[in-house]
Amino acid sequence: MGDEAVPSRTRVRVWDVPTRVAHWSMALCVGISWWTGETGRLEWHRWSGYLLLGLVTFRVYWGFFGSETARFRGFVRGPRAVGDYLRGRWTPRPGHNPLGALSVLALLALLALQVGLGLFSVDVDGIESGPLSAWVSFKAGRAAAHWHGVVFNVLQAFIALHVVAIGWYRIVRREKLLGAMLHGERELPGSWPQPARATALRFVVGVLLAGLLTWLVMRV
Amino acid sequence: MTRKHWLGFCGAAFVPLFIAGAVAAHDDAGKTEVQKARHHHYEELGDAFKAVRDNSRGDTPDWAALEKAANTINEASVDQQKWFPKGSGPESGKTRALPEVWSKPEEFTAAQKMLSDRAPKLLAAVKAKDAAGVGAAFKELGGACKNCHDTFRAPEG
Repeated sequence: MGDEAVPSRTRVRVWDVPTRVAHWSMALCVGISWWTGETGRLEWHRWSGYLLLGLVTFRVYWGFFGSETARFRGFVRGPRAVGDYLRGRWTPRPGHNPLGALSVLALLALLALQVGLGLFSVDVDGIESGPLSAWVSFKAGRAAAHWHGVVFNVLQAFIALHVVAIGWYRIVRREKLLGAMLHGERELPGSWPQPARATALRFVVGVLLAGLLTWLVMRV
Repeated sequence: MTRKHWLGFCGAAFVPLFIAGAVAAHDDAGKTEVQKARHHHYEELGDAFKAVRDNSRGDTPDWAALEKAANTINEASVDQQKWFPKGSGPESGKTRALPEVWSKPEEFTAAQKMLSDRAPKLLAAVKAKDAAGVGAAFKELGGACKNCHDTFRAPEG
């Protein structure tokens, strides 16, 4: 009988290595971009932006072709699921919860928008500029730079919310989300199969695609 | 997510760009005629700077475009000394020009002169088709912009 008993908890490998590395690299690059932007180190700011462009591209690709828990199709759910989750009618399962999924989308969209605006931004002295600024007028480039600043404030607010939410889950709900993003594993109530992981080939294709796009932008 | 969801998602991402366009179109609001003209002049100067940067990158600089831009910069570097008449500061309308422009006239004139002293070097390098010289002169000019903006122009954002 003991062998057949359903385990009360399962240790699940929720986040694969590419998802975790992409996550922490993006966090690091946002920090670097903030500092270099504020202190006028725009050469480094550009490099950090190129890296973010590659990382965001890879993460979006991974959202379609990556491991099970990284895929948008798997974790982005409708408003009804969000409502169920908020009313406590949601069974914990491996991967993002319906509300967290919205946060992932918002953060990725803001990062993509922010990097996109940065590509076209022009400094007030017309000296330091994004790699695609030659395609737009000085005025449009200045508008892009203005919105690059505005979107950063929105991004900061969403990052703060993200961090506060993780703290709230840790203290109130005793869920160790930070550790899960570090070592990849979470303990969940019930019996769960390990989420399917994408093949190494898919990873290589994603890195090559992200690298190619970034390289093309850099050499414009 | 369904296709409809994705369309909505992408649409939402572009909304700020449209707003940016609308805001850019309205940035003359609240300015006096002198301030409008000054803003316009500096935008032309910015365009010329950008033209130098855009056309001097790569292996084959566009010398005709560079000469046009360098001429614009050279003329504007002298003309700008007339773009700040008394009474065209923040007290009369929307401008980033700081009151220091008028309260420290000697420093301001010196800052403006830095640009007009350096602009001919760019034009000379362009006329000599000296790509390295263009790069060096451009950097120096950028320093003149920044020097003045640091003290006499309100920061953005």
